[in-house]
Amino acid sequence: MTKLLAALAAFAVLIGLWQAIILLTDVPFFILPSPLAVAETLWRQRDLLLAHGATTLIEIAAGLLLGTLLGIATAVLLASTTRLRRLVLPLVIASQAIPVFAVAPLLVMWLGYGMASKIAMACVIIFFPVTVALADGIARLEPGLADLARVMTGGVQRPGGRWRLLRHLYGPAALPALGSGLRIAAAVAPIGAVVGEWVGSAGGLGWLMLHANARAKIDLMFAALIVLAALALLLYLGVDRLMRRATPWAQSSDPATLTDS
Amino acid sequence: MKRLRALILGLACLAATPAAAADKLTVLLDWAVNPDHAPLILAKTQGYFAARGLEVELIAPSDPNDPPKLVAAGQADLAVTYQPQLVLLVDQGLPLKRVATLIDTPLNCLAVLADGPVKSIADLKGRKIGYSVAGFEDALLNTMLATAGLTNADVQLVNVNFALATSLAAGQVDAVIGAYRNFEIPEMALLGKPARIFPVEDHGVPSYDELIIAAGADKADDPRIARFVAALEDGARYTINHPDEAWAAFIAAYPELNDELNRQAWALTLPRFAASPAALDPGRFTRAASFLHQAGLIAKVSPPQTYAAFPK
Repeated sequence: MTKLLAALAAFAVLIGLWQAIILLTDVPFFILPSPLAVAETLWRQRDLLLAHGATTLIEIAAGLLLGTLLGIATAVLLASTTRLRRLVLPLVIASQAIPVFAVAPLLVMWLGYGMASKIAMACVIIFFPVTVALADGIARLEPGLADLARVMTGGVQRPGGRWRLLRHLYGPAALPALGSGLRIAAAVAPIGAVVGEWVGSAGGLGWLMLHANARAKIDLMFAALIVLAALALLLYLGVDRLMRRATPWAQSSDPATLTDS
Repeated sequence: MKRLRALILGLACLAATPAAAADKLTVLLDWAVNPDHAPLILAKTQGYFAARGLEVELIAPSDPNDPPKLVAAGQADLAVTYQPQLVLLVDQGLPLKRVATLIDTPLNCLAVLADGPVKSIADLKGRKIGYSVAGFEDALLNTMLATAGLTNADVQLVNVNFALATSLAAGQVDAVIGAYRNFEIPEMALLGKPARIFPVEDHGVPSYDELIIAAGADKADDPRIARFVAALEDGARYTINHPDEAWAAFIAAYPELNDELNRQAWALTLPRFAASPAALDPGRFTRAASFLHQAGLIAKVSPPQTYAAFPK
């Protein structure tokens, strides 16, 4: 509860600063609209913002889901054999080296102007943090535990042994690490979706921002930005809460967690 | 003789140590440098700006919608923008005024693949149309579609941002609005996908100045701007009278533009330069404003002096 109050206070300070800048510098409205004008636009254009917000949210959520599944599969691959690791790891690193902005136009050319290209963008941007965090988590399992498990269960030779190891040992041990990866993913996935919308789209918050910018409706641009930030924040908090529920045994050491445990 | 004198003056200015007391002006272009900007570039390379005691810097933006806003905010002196866009921005309360014209016909057109299924505006029904955000493309489109009894609701609009030619060539959209007939159209031909074009002013849109130059409303009467416009006229005159020498000077200044596309665009752009950049047709502003007002994009049609500084 105190954390929530602190967050609200931080927002209040931010809005106060924003208003102060306008009062002190006399900056024209088309460069920086007043908080009040933006609030008014948020309310007046709520239907428009909700409709485009829904489009962007679907893109982000689908990208998050696909990117996470892809990341988990890759991490398990990396962890399972050394030979595969040599093959796959450079590809994972390379995926991070490609600037998202550079591939966005290509993805749009290949996948069209619909949602597919935005989902792919979100996927590309979150694949790396999820994969690396989870692979790390698996690699860091205490070797003693793995040996113990093998001795106690008869190891992987028994039918289904490998799966049971994963289910009862590696999974629970690596989940907290996956959680950190997912939190980062939830924070960056909106970037992927919006970059995709900027490159080409028929809807979404990114599309709305470009449109508002061209018509000098800067208040609408800011309103879209605020809705996007709110979406990203809710998504982060949602993933954060979900991961805490899923890993009650893990003492979270993530300094960025906002919810009370 | 006059040109020789201008040249000597210009050279003298260039030779003089840090251009003694030359007034600096920053001009934000609408787009990456291309043949549309020839009069500006020639005014610079031929020393016409220098001859009038001006040191002009030309800057290409990352977003074509930014320059007028930056000028309104006092971050730059002049911006190249589109006549309907200026009307729209002034209606939104941006303190801007038109001071000169660079291109005095529309360049905008609706383009489709020459061998595609769209032979007339009516064939667009139910198809996907790409556009690049300039703020008024849906008004252009609505007016063009109306000539065939259609509305924007009969088509699907997609923002393709910078990829006008490529999205059409790749078949991601069936048509694009916002392509320039002097640039994207030769570009399409060079991509091996020749286009069929429907010029906007042939299909219900009132003729307008494609590229104009705007200054902050409070600076429109600045004497430096009058000198700038006079030098721009010299640049336009030189470009129109000596297209080959002008082309040589153009690619000497921007070697990266020495390619087939720009060579073709150059020839297509020549007849479109405003020979008298200062000349103002107030009626055009009224017609552009009425057009935007009917499309519901602006609140009211203001008198022309709201949008343009009247030349002295």
